[in-house]
Amino acid sequence: MIHATYAIWLRHMRKFLRNREELGGLLIQPILWVGLFGVGMGRMLATQNDYLSFMLPGILALTALGGAAGGGMMFLDERLRGIMREYMVAPIPRLSILLGHMLATVSKAFFQITIVCAIGVLAGATFPNSMGEIARGFIALLCFTLGFAGIALAVASRSRSIMGYHGMIFLFNLPLLFASNALYELDSAPTWMQWVAQCNPATWLIAVMRGSESALVYLSGLVIFAVLGTWFALQRFQQLTK
Amino acid sequence: MVHTISVGRVVIYERKHPQMIDARGLYKQFGDVVAVQDLDIHVQAGSVYALLGPNGAGKSTTINMLTTLLQPDRGQITIAGLSIPQNAATIRRMIGVTFQDLVLDRDLTGRESLDFHGRLYGLDSQTRRTRIHELLELVELSGAADRLTGTYSGGMRRRLELARCLMMHPQILFLDEPTQGLDPQHRAMIWEYLRTLQRTRGMTVVITTHAMDEAELLADYVGIIDHGRMVTHGTVNALISQFGDDIVRMRMPTFPTVTWDVYPWVTQAHRVNQELLVGVDNGARRLPELLDIVRSHGAQVIEVTMQRPHLGDVFLRTTGRALRDEVTQ
Repeated sequence: MIHATYAIWLRHMRKFLRNREELGGLLIQPILWVGLFGVGMGRMLATQNDYLSFMLPGILALTALGGAAGGGMMFLDERLRGIMREYMVAPIPRLSILLGHMLATVSKAFFQITIVCAIGVLAGATFPNSMGEIARGFIALLCFTLGFAGIALAVASRSRSIMGYHGMIFLFNLPLLFASNALYELDSAPTWMQWVAQCNPATWLIAVMRGSESALVYLSGLVIFAVLGTWFALQRFQQLTK
Repeated sequence: MVHTISVGRVVIYERKHPQMIDARGLYKQFGDVVAVQDLDIHVQAGSVYALLGPNGAGKSTTINMLTTLLQPDRGQITIAGLSIPQNAATIRRMIGVTFQDLVLDRDLTGRESLDFHGRLYGLDSQTRRTRIHELLELVELSGAADRLTGTYSGGMRRRLELARCLMMHPQILFLDEPTQGLDPQHRAMIWEYLRTLQRTRGMTVVITTHAMDEAELLADYVGIIDHGRMVTHGTVNALISQFGDDIVRMRMPTFPTVTWDVYPWVTQAHRVNQELLVGVDNGARRLPELLDIVRSHGAQVIEVTMQRPHLGDVFLRTTGRALRDEVTQ
């Protein structure tokens, strides 16, 4: 189980480090987000002091979502090209195939997340001081990425085309961010939207990273979300052999 | 099981052929389309079995079921006495599979593809290195091992896939259309590998193909499949000899009504498109007589050809269509 998960992860990492386009895209995207959106919006919104620090968790959530969507894409590509059958016919648990892909997805996402943080620091964003808070934020981000990677893989397990997959994924990628506390405080939002945002894992993640009082509750929610995402992906994936 | 019989100083090894693959009553439906129905396949250990049929006949679906990739809606499969799906993991350790479409990752080198495969099966790095070296030699790809497979020709990719499926010393090879899209030279090369492997290692091989020459050349046993059903099966020789010795094909605008049963030397007769096909015991000797019979029944013969029967005729007879037509469609 572990060797198969590792083998699949390793394969993706090797391809990733070799693929200059993908690597370049992943590097440039956070620079644009933090540099243009974060700094630009911060100047516009005079009401917020340090808007960059406020919205950096949102950018991290978006980065994780993008990473999850990319992971699903990588999975779908292997499925549509038939490469997946090499794994399917091997004496390895189906779960290891999924975990290998999910770990590769998380690794790429965290590669990008590290860059976002580094650029954030350079652009003047403030980070929590205590290791506890940083660790909590890290776990929250990990669970959030795993949960959405699970959803993306579940969609990719059934999609018949790349276009179809994109349609499904973009349906909830950006809206998830808008229906959360990522870009603005929810206090000023209508009640219904506050309710929607409360059910949104992006809100939980951002709440943990901004050091909310109920951070542990939100963190538990994210752990459950990660488990459910993996379970959902496995369910859909196993349908492939039916 | 191997029995040893001593005859003087010569020792003859007689391999007792147990059934390696035993599939009964396979049925698989996708939506409204029935891909495979009531299909039985029995493959003896150490033999080469060819599943012959046109595109869309259900060959790949059958292979996918036999290789644990797809669950049949009905029917049972046992491989080396182990039933699917209960023993799927054990069976996957025993089989090597290549697929109809090439499933190599174009972003990995040939060596990396094999290395990754070995890792997937849990081989340690020393074993992987030795094995990869042997296999690359076997399929003559050592020189191109460190190139991305995306730069390989079709023949090179097929050979690499063959090497990959041999990595774990499988007892059974499943090769779905192993020479599809290859030029004659590369086809012959793959055939040669397969024959050598089968001869030297006694592997059981199941191939699917729509090429009759391939089936005739490689297979001990042939199953002809059409519209998801097994139309006929048997050894290549048995199937061909069902046709009598020779086939006389006569092209004619109108067909005569002849009671062929009164001629004991006629093994079979039927119409296909604009041709009348008559199986006879000795074509050269019976041809004049045959033409007389046809003419005396008022038919005009435009063209006559005579041939030794081959698997294509068996297919034609059992399905009423020429395999070649199906392929070009």
